[in-house]
Amino acid sequence: MESITVIIKTSKGMKEYTYEGNLNIPVTTLLERINVKHDIKIHYSSSCLQGLCGSCSMIINGLPKLACKTFVNEEATTKKMHKITIEPLSKFHVVKDLVVDRTSMFENIKNSRQWLEEESRINQDNLEFEYEASQCYGAILPVTSSKISKQESNMDKLKFLKENYSNHFYNDCVKSLACENICPMNIQTQRAISIMNRHSIWKFHKLLKK
Amino acid sequence: MVKEIIVIGAGLAGLTCSVKSASKNMHVKLFSPAHSERSQSVMAMGGINAALNTKGEDDSVNEHYTDTINAGQHINNHNAVEKLTNDAPEIIDWLSKLGTSFTRDDDGNVDVRYFGGQKKMRTAYAGARTGKQILTAINTECRKWEYKDKIKRYVGWRFLSLILDDDKVCRGVVMINENTEEIRDFYADFVVIASGGMNKVFGKISGSLHNDGFVSGKLLHQGIELANMEMIQYHPTTIETPVKRMLITEAARGEGGKLYTLRNGEKWYFMEEWYPEQGALMPRDVVSRSIYRVCHEDDMGIDGENKVYLDLTHLDEKTVKTKLDEVYDVCMNYLNLDPTREPIPVYPGVHYFMGGIRTDDAHKTNIRNLFAIGECSSQYHGANRLGGNSLLGAIHGGWVVADQLEEISCENNSSEEYEILNYEYEAYENWKELQKEANNISSYEIEEEIANIMNRTMGIYRTESELKEGLNKLDSLETIHVNSHGCYYDYILLKSLTDIAKAMLSSALARKESRGAHQRLDYPETNEEYLKTTVISFDNDELKITFNDTEERMSW
Ligand SMILES: Cc1cc2nc3c(=O)[nH]c(=O)nc-3n(C[C@H](O)[C@H](O)[C@H](O)COP(=O)(O)OP(=O)(O)OC[C@H]3O[C@@H](n4cnc5c(N)ncnc54)[C@H](O)[C@@H]3O)c2cc1C
Ligand code: SF4
Ligand code: FES
Repeated sequence: MESITVIIKTSKGMKEYTYEGNLNIPVTTLLERINVKHDIKIHYSSSCLQGLCGSCSMIINGLPKLACKTFVNEEATTKKMHKITIEPLSKFHVVKDLVVDRTSMFENIKNSRQWLEEESRINQDNLEFEYEASQCYGAILPVTSSKISKQESNMDKLKFLKENYSNHFYNDCVKSLACENICPMNIQTQRAISIMNRHSIWKFHKLLKK
Repeated sequence: MVKEIIVIGAGLAGLTCSVKSASKNMHVKLFSPAHSERSQSVMAMGGINAALNTKGEDDSVNEHYTDTINAGQHINNHNAVEKLTNDAPEIIDWLSKLGTSFTRDDDGNVDVRYFGGQKKMRTAYAGARTGKQILTAINTECRKWEYKDKIKRYVGWRFLSLILDDDKVCRGVVMINENTEEIRDFYADFVVIASGGMNKVFGKISGSLHNDGFVSGKLLHQGIELANMEMIQYHPTTIETPVKRMLITEAARGEGGKLYTLRNGEKWYFMEEWYPEQGALMPRDVVSRSIYRVCHEDDMGIDGENKVYLDLTHLDEKTVKTKLDEVYDVCMNYLNLDPTREPIPVYPGVHYFMGGIRTDDAHKTNIRNLFAIGECSSQYHGANRLGGNSLLGAIHGGWVVADQLEEISCENNSSEEYEILNYEYEAYENWKELQKEANNISSYEIEEEIANIMNRTMGIYRTESELKEGLNKLDSLETIHVNSHGCYYDYILLKSLTDIAKAMLSSALARKESRGAHQRLDYPETNEEYLKTTVISFDNDELKITFNDTEERMSW
């Protein structure tokens, strides 16, 4: 039996708990046990508990991680002497304790109109990339982005996408590569962007010139 | 006049219904506690069934139908299964056109693999993340309709109750916002329930925490009939982790994985010995009972414990890492075990609810203007579900209902005031008062107690005495004053869980035979008398059970 200090940023401020027991558990299980043991409810989001749905992202020892895939022993013993700090994601509005509202992200995806106006065709040589990209938890990198860039023929839509694309990728992205380290799905985001660049930008230009 | 639809639940069933209805020019309000990306549907790994017949095996929709009925031990709704299996190839085509990245064979066809209970390769898949890939495609389509204001999403809202008029016609729903606890009414011409399985009655099972069963429990309370509640699927291969029992998809056996235990130090492939033709790919109920027999009757579990081995070590490493990537990841992350090198210790675990809201072949419930689709509905799978048929059933449900909504005429005269909203406000205020009492028992304790009762009495084998004892224990929980830690939903959930648990136990008591997932030690034989649907409902506060014809249609 080992013991660690757990520091949690709740809506009522920073709280400190001592946890004793098996440390070979993910952070979601740790939170669950703290709630039961102390007969309290610290709110946090979770659904699948096995790294498939992206609900449980939070900041663990300073970095955004999936709580159900992040093991306490690795976080608390090797890195930070018997201590673990858990906070809500910092870029979103905090609803309650560790729960954040990510609606803005989904709104942005919707407004960027990442869908095909026509039926999807099979791109045998693109399948592997499409599979990888659609594992994204936020579906920010949906398979369709790459499909659109290969296939879309609606002119108005292409014009809109082109503007949107150059604003967000060409002008906004500073290519610090930090996203690659953070992505819990190990999606090679830079590779994804460069594939999309290759398919899209030149294709957009060509198509729009016609 | 544009028809107004309310859909409760945004997994594959709810999404499909919304997208299809929007494309037919209806207006949809889509409710769920969390975004679709978080629903249980994304967890589905192995695949989705359709007789595509691309492998030269002479497969047909008829065979898909027969396999489904045989696995369900003939208490499926035969008409519903006929439509399901007929529409399956078209559904795969639709999903492809929406952009699902199905794994393809060398000819560019959607690839199909073997799955349990089916002798032909019939399960289409996208690596080992089929659910996620399909959901991404339909969800993208959904955004398109949201952008066009045909679908409006309400995320963070949970179902509280149905709004029924004096003639027991469904007029809308009362919902609660999880974050603000705001309680509100919403009206529509039709309501479609797509709220998934009843996972929480068993504590934590293979599926999502969101599907707690609250909706089904509350509906039962409001006069909606439930069906086949005793039919609970134990998936043969789940692994024990510090988190919960996690699933190892049937695709692992479909790709050639074998089950064995050690007998006199040698590998004993018991499934191959007992069922030479299909071996480890027998229907799930049979495989689960076989593992049970090895561990409990033959006393031959690995190391004397309740487990046998699922062996993938003889498979090509690439197959495991690409076609079964999720299996590989789960084993590495939660067992610290490399399945390409070591066998996986497995044992059956609760996985799926064949029963649920009583629905006919048109997905109608016994309440006018109320439909149910997806795992919360009950007509397709009978006494045991074939792997790969539930993704199919979920999508098919949405598809079938949207078609009907277009057809059915509705008179929209609702300017009535309904009592229910005030009732829900009052219930909320009462709870606030109750929470002020000291010495209330923690809701966590009650949840755990319910799960314990269910796991003990509703295992792979059941007996009358245990079921009765379970029912008594559930009764005694009802009088306890509960502390729900400032969370109203956790409080009302307990009442629903108890009702659902009772409905399951009562149904299991009433079906005095053994069939599929329902095995009674005191009635080990299958009995023709029970070639029926078990129907349970509240009659003056008492649960009432009848056995009805499996094809019976609703009267509206
Ligand atoms: C690990 C795993 C693997 C699986 N693999 C396969 C497979 O390979 N093939 C196959 O066919 N099937 C598989 N299944 C089963 C399949 O995933 C489900 O049966 C199917 O996804 C159900 O879809 P659904 O739309 O009915 O429900 P879900 O996707 O569960 O969606 C339910 C929706 O209802 C919402 N909801 C819940 N409660 C409320 C409430 N109170 N108010 C409002 N909304 C609510 C949820 O948030 C969610 O949006 C698997 C299941 C699991 C757990
Ligand atoms: S690319 Fe990775 S980090 Fe970014 S949203 Fe998708 S899953 Fe999350
Ligand atoms: S709970 Fe689904 S990823 Fe953590």
